[in-house]
Amino acid sequence: MHMPIPFLNRLKFQDKINLGTACIVIFFGLITALSVTRVSVDSILEGNRERGTSMARNLALRAIDPMLGRDSLRLKNLVDQMAGLSDYINYAFVLDRQGDVLAHTFKKGFPVELKDANEAFEKGVRIQLLDTGEARIYDFAAPVIIGGDRYGTVRLGISQVRVQTAKREVMVTIFGITAAVTLAAMVLSTIFARGVAKSINLLRESAEEVVRGNLDVQTAKALGRNCWEVMRCYNKGCPAYHDDRHRCWYLAGTLCPECQDVHLPEKFESCRTCKVYRENVGDEIQSLAETFDVMALTLNAYIDELKHAKSDLERQKSLMQTILDVTPDLVSLQDRDLKYIAVNKAFCTYFHKNESDVIGITDFDIFNEEQADTNYHEDQQILITGQSLSKQILVGRTGNRRWFHIIKVPVYDGETIIGLLLTARDISVIKQYQERLIHSQKMQDLGKLAGGVAHEINTPLGIILGYAQLLIEDVPEGEQMREDLKIIERQTKVCRKIVSDLLGFSRNIESSMESMELNKSLTDVVELVQHIFRQERVTVDTDLDPNVPPIVADEDKLKQVWMNLLNNAFDAIGSDGHILVGTKLCSHRRRVLVTVADTGSGIKEGNMGRVFDPFFTTKPAGEGTGLGLSVSFGIITDHGGKISVTSPAPVEYLETGDDKTGTRPPGPGTLFIIELPLTKEGLPDEECPEAIDLKSGIQAV
Amino acid sequence: MRFTVRILLLLTLIALALPLAGCEDPEPVKRIDLTKREEITFRPRQVEVTYAYLPQYSHSLSYQRHNLLVEYLSEATGLTMRQVFPDTFDEHMNMVDQGQIDISFSNPFIYVKMAHRGGAQAFARIVEDSGKNFRGQIIVRQGNESIGTLADVRGKRWLAVDPSSAGGFLFPLGHFIEHGIQRKDFAEVAFAPGPGGKQEKVVLGVASGQYDVGSIREGTLALMADKVDLSQIRVLAETRWYPGWVYSARKGLNQEIVRKIKSAMLALSQDNPRHLPILENAGFTAIIPSQDSDFDPVRLLAASIGLDVGK
Repeated sequence: MHMPIPFLNRLKFQDKINLGTACIVIFFGLITALSVTRVSVDSILEGNRERGTSMARNLALRAIDPMLGRDSLRLKNLVDQMAGLSDYINYAFVLDRQGDVLAHTFKKGFPVELKDANEAFEKGVRIQLLDTGEARIYDFAAPVIIGGDRYGTVRLGISQVRVQTAKREVMVTIFGITAAVTLAAMVLSTIFARGVAKSINLLRESAEEVVRGNLDVQTAKALGRNCWEVMRCYNKGCPAYHDDRHRCWYLAGTLCPECQDVHLPEKFESCRTCKVYRENVGDEIQSLAETFDVMALTLNAYIDELKHAKSDLERQKSLMQTILDVTPDLVSLQDRDLKYIAVNKAFCTYFHKNESDVIGITDFDIFNEEQADTNYHEDQQILITGQSLSKQILVGRTGNRRWFHIIKVPVYDGETIIGLLLTARDISVIKQYQERLIHSQKMQDLGKLAGGVAHEINTPLGIILGYAQLLIEDVPEGEQMREDLKIIERQTKVCRKIVSDLLGFSRNIESSMESMELNKSLTDVVELVQHIFRQERVTVDTDLDPNVPPIVADEDKLKQVWMNLLNNAFDAIGSDGHILVGTKLCSHRRRVLVTVADTGSGIKEGNMGRVFDPFFTTKPAGEGTGLGLSVSFGIITDHGGKISVTSPAPVEYLETGDDKTGTRPPGPGTLFIIELPLTKEGLPDEECPEAIDLKSGIQAV
Repeated sequence: MRFTVRILLLLTLIALALPLAGCEDPEPVKRIDLTKREEITFRPRQVEVTYAYLPQYSHSLSYQRHNLLVEYLSEATGLTMRQVFPDTFDEHMNMVDQGQIDISFSNPFIYVKMAHRGGAQAFARIVEDSGKNFRGQIIVRQGNESIGTLADVRGKRWLAVDPSSAGGFLFPLGHFIEHGIQRKDFAEVAFAPGPGGKQEKVVLGVASGQYDVGSIREGTLALMADKVDLSQIRVLAETRWYPGWVYSARKGLNQEIVRKIKSAMLALSQDNPRHLPILENAGFTAIIPSQDSDFDPVRLLAASIGLDVGK
């Protein structure tokens, strides 16, 4: 309730009760005092009048005989006696029938004005209040009646001081009593209020404990007799048994046979009829305290449930976050204003931001304005239409361009779109595979074409060569013609070599697949070139896995591949370099790796996808046909294997061997990886663990 | 807490202030000056005829009974008459002797005494309901079983009106003596104390059991009907008749005055509506002429009981 006077709000409860009690007691004390004083004063006045009247009448009666007897002395004695009865009697005198003063009590003459100041009624006493200037006097005039005949008058003056004194005494008494009652009421109300305030303070302290989080409070006082004592219960399985911290009716699951199977708050109603409750029931404050305890207990239970729920939620959130963070896809959730409200770890990593930096910002804070504007319009379209969006985009600068598959779906809450979920999957690798697939198809088609063309050209070339050689034999040495014919013969041989390579690339050359030692074929080729390469201070080392089993392959063709790769490596090094040839048996023993690494000039990034194309070469004109790697590609593919290249080569391939102290620093280098199957089924689906690290940098296959 | 104390102080002040507002007396007040004084001087007395009733009753009763009569006499005679109130029989007799009482209304014994001592002269006497004579009564308390006959009064305590009372002492004393009972036969002979009201005191003395035997004039009991339960009183005996109360003039009083007064007294008649209240008030039915010889039986009685009328 709103207090009419603000400062009353600030008063303590105890002070309010004291003040209220004091106000009530003083108010009623005043009313009582006023009325009682009035009644008492009236009573005193009336008593005084009656007393004075009685005394006047008495004087009148007693004055009869002296008056009749004209006994002035007796009359004088009479009035003197009367005046001497009390200090409050100011005077007394007797008038005869004619109004002459017969006797009076005044010492020095009789006051002239007093005689006519009051006059008796015919047969009654008349009272007149006189003010002498110094005091107030009640003047009583009583007739002296003898046998119905008025014989004279007696006058009696009684000071009002007596009345005033009596009035004052009454008032002092009444107000003293009022003050005493007020004091007593204050003391009692203080005792009472202190008891109530104590209970309320206990409630407040308990409430503060609850606010601090301590819900294990007991505000209500302990029971006089506990439930098991009242009910004479020995059910030790009951949660209330010997629990004097809580009322039995607080506890859910009590096994009391009188407790119906109801729970709070309905339990309160059934409790009201319980004799334990009825025996221990107290006033409203106790009820409030008990209800408070129940509230705390219930809150405790609710908080426990909430803790469990929170724990569950946190676990699920953690799980969800883990899932989101583990997934390599970029995942984000935006609200209707397109502000990010959740992102996963991949998202943050990609944009080099913390999660807290992303939350609350929009695409305009992440992307350039053009890209952000595009995204904004796409997102708004989704939010308006509810249609999902799926697209592939190429992002990043040259040299670090990546393909992403973007899916944006609206997030519904019931019928309403509340946000936008984005998943962006990096499909660069898939794209590469896709490109390689296309490339392979192209190579296959090109091989067929080249094979067909070579087959058709091979015969005329043989005829041209045959006839050229016949003509040489016919032309003596030293003639110009003979030199010209030799040029024809030589160039024709070049053509036949080219045709032969083309046929090899097109796999039109028949293969003789036999069991062979892979390491031996490699050693043979290395030994063949080692001597020549060393002249240019290029060393060739081998790191061959002795566990490599024999494979079924065309040894000659594989040697052609090895030779081709070593030649390319030597060409890339030029001089002062190192070539490392290695084999490795995969742990699942279904694949074998052959690696050829060099410390040469490496392959430019733009050329990586073209090194296996026929006729692609970086060598000067006349020094290479550009068919070496394409032929090697064909041979390996024909064996069911794969060939891939990476540049620059991994460092560990460059720093092995004896040339760690070489005169030239190792170049970026190139690493070729050839994977050959060990079974007829071809390469297995699973990757070779040993090749995974190497292949992470592979740019072309 | 300081705030509460302040509020309580305020309330207390209000509590003290409120009743003060209601302290004024609503009665009308007359202002007088007591400083103006004068000495009281009595007015000089006019020449007046004083009239006194032998104080057998209280002064006020005497006044009540005779006031109208005195006024009547003043009016009828043109004399200024004033009733005076002697306190005792002796004072009455002395005042007659000294001339302070001109007209005396007394019982026959007193008259005999006054006539003997100072020469008072009877000129009228009253007629009561019982007749022109009166007598005394001897009363006892109704419950006093020890007194059945007059003879039983011996050894008892006797309360009489006054040694000079005719009906209240002398007549009964004569009656006792006639019946052989002497004054000394009583355990105690007391007289009603104090001035006035002696007849009533005797009745009250007997009714209260203070005395065993009382003697009063006849008619007293009727006057006491409203003061005493008369069923408590038993009249043991009555004396013989004697001449009733008598009006006498002091020696030396102007006979003209006596004549006027006597004339006015004799003129009183119950038939006169104006006279009737006067007579009723005084307890008379009429006033008749009288003379000194009418009281000889009294003188005889006095002699018989050994009373010296000269004292």
